[in-house]
Amino acid sequence: MRAIEPWVEPPLSAFLAESAARVTLLMTASGQVVAQHGFTRSLDVMAAAALGAGIVASTTELARIMGTASLGNASHQGAAMGIFLSPFDTPRGRWIALVVYGPETSLGLVQLFFGRMVADLAGAAPAAPKAGPVLAENFEAELNASLRSLFGR
Amino acid sequence: MPACGPSSAGEPMPLVNFTAREITCKLVYYGPGRCGKTTNLQYIHGRVPEHRRGTMVSLATQADRTLFFDFLPLELGIISGFTTRFQLYTVPGQVYYNATRRLVLQGADGVVFVVDSQARRFDDNLESFQNLQENLLDQGVDVRQLPLVLQYNKQDLPPDLILTPAELDDAFNFRAVPSLAADALHGTGVFETLKALSGLVLERLAARPPAT
Repeated sequence: MRAIEPWVEPPLSAFLAESAARVTLLMTASGQVVAQHGFTRSLDVMAAAALGAGIVASTTELARIMGTASLGNASHQGAAMGIFLSPFDTPRGRWIALVVYGPETSLGLVQLFFGRMVADLAGAAPAAPKAGPVLAENFEAELNASLRSLFGR
Repeated sequence: MPACGPSSAGEPMPLVNFTAREITCKLVYYGPGRCGKTTNLQYIHGRVPEHRRGTMVSLATQADRTLFFDFLPLELGIISGFTTRFQLYTVPGQVYYNATRRLVLQGADGVVFVVDSQARRFDDNLESFQNLQENLLDQGVDVRQLPLVLQYNKQDLPPDLILTPAELDDAFNFRAVPSLAADALHGTGVFETLKALSGLVLERLAARPPAT
C-alpha cells in the first residue's frame, strides 16, 4: 500500500483488511492519485485513476443532463472479479475510490466497509499544514535536463 | 501534507505533495478535430523510454477518432527535489463532443492549443479556440492566467495549403504566448511544445506564494 497522505493509511488499511479487496485506488476528482494498494506498476495506477475519474465525471454530467441528483456508486460484476467505483466527500475535497474485489468477498461487504472507511477518513483528516517553497532557483535547468533525457536529446 | 489541486477560486494548480515531494501536472491538448492532438501523444509515447512512461490510454471510436480522451502519464524524474510527473490528455475535437471536452479540461494545469495550419481549417480552429475560452470561463478559470502554448501543426504541408506561423500568430496569439511550428506526424515541434508548456506550468508553480 502507498498513500501520499500518511493519515489516509490507517483507514485504508482497515478497509483492506476487513473488505478483502484486492486493489484499491483513492484519487481526487480530477484523477490525481492519493493512495493505492495492489498495483504492480506505478504508472498504470495513473491510467486507472484517469479512467476512474473519467467514468465518475461522465456519470455526474449524465445525471445533471437527466435532471437528477448524482447517480452515486457504480459497480460492475465480472465472472471472476468485480469493480466498485464511488465518489465521496472528505475534508480535503471530493475524492473517488476504485475498488477491485474477487470471489473471496462480495459487493455488499465492500460497500459496508467502504462506508466505514469514508467516515474514518473524515475523522482522521488533519488541518492542512502550510506549504513550503516548491522549486529551487535552478529548476529550469533541471526541467530542461529531464525533458532532454525523456526525449533522448 | 498539503495536496494542492484546483483552488477555491477555480485556478488550477498542480498536485503538490510536500511529504512525498511529488508534483503531478495535468496538461491538456486542445484543438479542432483532426488537428493532430492524438498524434502529438502518439509521437511522445513512441519516443519516451518505456520506464519513463505509462500505458497510453485511448478512448476512441471505431474510426479511431477520440471519443473521450487520450491519456499518457510521463515520469520526468527529480526536479529540484520533487519527483515530477506529467499527465497528458487530449480532448475530442469534434464540435458535438463538448460535454466530454469540458470534463477533460477540469483541473488542467496548462493547455496546448493545436492549430491545424491548413487555410481551409481556419474557421474550425477559431471555433475551437473560442470554445476553449468559453469552457475555461465556465469553470471559473481565468484564461489569461492559465499557462497556454499554441502549436501550429501540419507546417510540413505544401505552402499553398497552409497559413504561415506569422499569419496564425496574427489570428490566434493576441496574448503573446509561446507558439511553435510543428509537424506532429514526424515529431517536429512536439518536444518543443511540451517543453514550452511544462516550463510555463512549473514557473507558475514556483512563482506562487506559499499557502497559509
